[in-house]
Amino acid sequence: MSRRGWSLAGPGVGWLVVFFVAPLALIAAFSVMPRGPYGGVEPGLTLEAYQRFLVPIYLTTLGRTVVLSLACTALCLLLGFPVAYAISRSGRWKTLLLVLVVLPLWSSFLVRTFAMIFLLRDTGLINEWLLAAGIIERPLTLLYTPGAVLAGLVYGFLPFMILPIYASLEKLDLALLEAAEALGARPVARFRRVVLPLALPGIAAGSLLVFVPALGSFLTPDLLGGAKQLMIGNLIQNQFATARNWPFGSAASLVMLTLVLAAVVAWLRLRDRAEELA
Amino acid sequence: MTTRIRPGVAAFVGAVYLFLHVPVAVLIAFSFNASRFSAAWSGFTLDWYRHLFERDDLLRATARSLLVGVSATAIATVIGTLLALALARHRIRGRRAVEALLYAPVVTPEVVAGVSLLMLFASVGIPLGLGTIVLAHATFCLPFVVIVVLARLSGMDRSLEEAAMILGADEIATFRRVTLPQLAPGVLAAALLAFTLSIDDFVITSFVAGPGSSTLPMLVYSMVRRNVEPTVNAISAIIVVATTILIVAAERLTHASPDGRE
Amino acid sequence: MSATERPQHWSRRELLRWLGLAALGGCAGRRRPIDDHPDRTLPPLERELAIYNWSDYVAPDTIPNFEREFGVRVTYDVFESNEEMLAKLQAGARGYDLVVAGGNFIAPLVALGLVARPSWRYVPNLINLSPRFRGLPFDPGNDFTVPYQWAITGIAWRRDLLPSPPIGWALFHDSSLRGKLTQLDDMRDAIGAWLRYRRRSINSTDPAFLAEARADAIWAKANLKAYISAPVKAQLVTGDVWAAQLWNGDATQARAEQPAIEFTIPAEGSSMWLDNLVLTSRAPHPRAAHEFMNYILRPDVGAAISAATGYGTPNDAALSLLTDPVRYPSPLELERLEWAADLGRATALWDQIWTEIKAA
Repeated sequence: MSRRGWSLAGPGVGWLVVFFVAPLALIAAFSVMPRGPYGGVEPGLTLEAYQRFLVPIYLTTLGRTVVLSLACTALCLLLGFPVAYAISRSGRWKTLLLVLVVLPLWSSFLVRTFAMIFLLRDTGLINEWLLAAGIIERPLTLLYTPGAVLAGLVYGFLPFMILPIYASLEKLDLALLEAAEALGARPVARFRRVVLPLALPGIAAGSLLVFVPALGSFLTPDLLGGAKQLMIGNLIQNQFATARNWPFGSAASLVMLTLVLAAVVAWLRLRDRAEELA
Repeated sequence: MTTRIRPGVAAFVGAVYLFLHVPVAVLIAFSFNASRFSAAWSGFTLDWYRHLFERDDLLRATARSLLVGVSATAIATVIGTLLALALARHRIRGRRAVEALLYAPVVTPEVVAGVSLLMLFASVGIPLGLGTIVLAHATFCLPFVVIVVLARLSGMDRSLEEAAMILGADEIATFRRVTLPQLAPGVLAAALLAFTLSIDDFVITSFVAGPGSSTLPMLVYSMVRRNVEPTVNAISAIIVVATTILIVAAERLTHASPDGRE
Repeated sequence: MSATERPQHWSRRELLRWLGLAALGGCAGRRRPIDDHPDRTLPPLERELAIYNWSDYVAPDTIPNFEREFGVRVTYDVFESNEEMLAKLQAGARGYDLVVAGGNFIAPLVALGLVARPSWRYVPNLINLSPRFRGLPFDPGNDFTVPYQWAITGIAWRRDLLPSPPIGWALFHDSSLRGKLTQLDDMRDAIGAWLRYRRRSINSTDPAFLAEARADAIWAKANLKAYISAPVKAQLVTGDVWAAQLWNGDATQARAEQPAIEFTIPAEGSSMWLDNLVLTSRAPHPRAAHEFMNYILRPDVGAAISAATGYGTPNDAALSLLTDPVRYPSPLELERLEWAADLGRATALWDQIWTEIKAA
């Protein structure tokens, strides 16, 4: 039946090879070619695009991207775990609470980012209320700061953390917790030794689902960072949309893909170890 | 089973829910605000919604988005369903590689996907336009279609198909009259999902769009950058409501019972 | 499946794969010669036209009137910087017939084979142009361009919000105004300001000069709210921004909504721009493109555009129709102003510096 299998799978695989693999191979090739005088690429072989990356300015951009993504993941974990836990304990409200988490996931990301702008800018709602309440005299600069970008990232990706953790917590058998309590374990110990190990796969999955898109984000730092909090995604977009430095942009893309790959591999390792422990 | 949740935790969770929903709710509320510039409420009006319909460019962009969405969804759904069937029902050599190939676009950042496609089109000499947008959208929708249809397939009861074949139906007839109807809700849900993803895409689209092919997200992006207030609130509200309806429909279909048809 | 079938299957697929890659490589190198003999005959008027222009750079009725009079449907797309325009064209946006490009971008466009010479006998209204704007260095033979509008970069500021009027680019180093200032999201202007700050040419290619400009720009960046081009108008009007590096026409447009907005040419000097209509080399609708160029050169159309955008018109006939025209700078002002020129091979260095400023 392998033949039939391939005739069904052929179009899909072929499509992905042409429109996913080939483009990536192309930018891998471009990353080692010299830049044309007005942009684009010229035939040739050179590592100058990658060498250009190894300066403090771009390494800082890389660092900023990783730090913001890690901070976003940590905050999402902090905010998301209690929510996932509460949903798993909420009985008949479960469906409603879940829907309320899923809904923002599928709403337009652009619109949600604009909602943040609407709240945070100098003439935005938060400043308006604080001024009206007399708490401040001049508007606070909330927009175009690293905090705004972080807030936007957390706001955008929080549901991705909540759902996987909920999925693993749902399997928690309350009898286990009751048994632990009966055997004299304190709440913290109960949490650490019963709830946490079970939630670990969900935490790992949620962390991956937040960290990877955060690494690759473009819209959030673009709209909320004011062209000042550059992340790798903005750098790449800039190279192709304005600076026309295809090799450098391609090199930056491959660096970003390497980061993503590293994150996925780390997650796979973690998942395998979690399965060993369980 | 409900257990006690400490009031502190409940309050915290409530605050997080507010964080998730208040921004968009506020945005929608202020789309009815009579004042143009300030964030202070100064009266209810439907003017901004009226403005939307006067804007030719918005209407045309919406039409383009719908056209692209339908085309990309059609391609992705057909190809994706076939691929899902192959993965679920047939032995394939190199299955592991196919699965890796399938899930790779999901983790690839949109910026990289967008620029790599742009480079492909630029190198081969394909002019940028609505066609290139459709090709790009079909590509990133494909894995999601496969995931949804696969989930549906793995939950399906094969005994009906086996019964049909025992009773003498050949493979094609069985597929047409037993498998497909059972599969239909899953395929439809996958299509709705793909459509929603396509309608909302900005990053990839902005790279591969050509002359006169501005889609709705591209227009909304430039409106957001230029603070075209509060008309952009109005269009945002419409987008949110429309996608909500689509998603609720998709959710309903995913949970429809396997033998609900026929 | 028999053992003999499998090898065939693989070699067929292998073959297709290599063919595909070969085609990819082959297509990349090919360039068709451009048919732009000045005396060529154009086809009859087409039904469509595609134009790529700066944002807010045309009067509200310019396009609709053209569509009505000629029965042509116009696709009108906008960009925010010359670089963005070039990037799109270079990456394969083939469908545009006419593009508005700064004079300093004519050389790159020609070098990349993206523009063609119009057939001037279809554009008789060329005589309306002022001689001052013909035979300029970027197009000495007047082969490629139809001058469209000219502009000056300066500082647009709120006289009711700034403590004192700005004198020059040093304003952006004033940390007491942190968060209230913006510079243009435009490589030539953002860096050019800091070259002029140290009395150097905005067309400098000296790496040492550019390194100093980068340092000055990064210092200023700490005080900037954002890098933002034409869209900053809305923020000037609401008072989110107190002073912005901006072009004279956009400042005039903003003043129409907020009278407290002023425009100043910095004491250290600034850039001047002449934007031009150019015909693309693969224009799908060349006849409509020529008709549009001729239409733009009409006195009433040119006057309407200048009045609506606040920019200077190179059209003498249009100038005579304007009651309150944008004044061409006086000789004294001209001493502080420089025409932006093509950077040639130094473009790569500038792009690099700009990326570093943005990433810092």
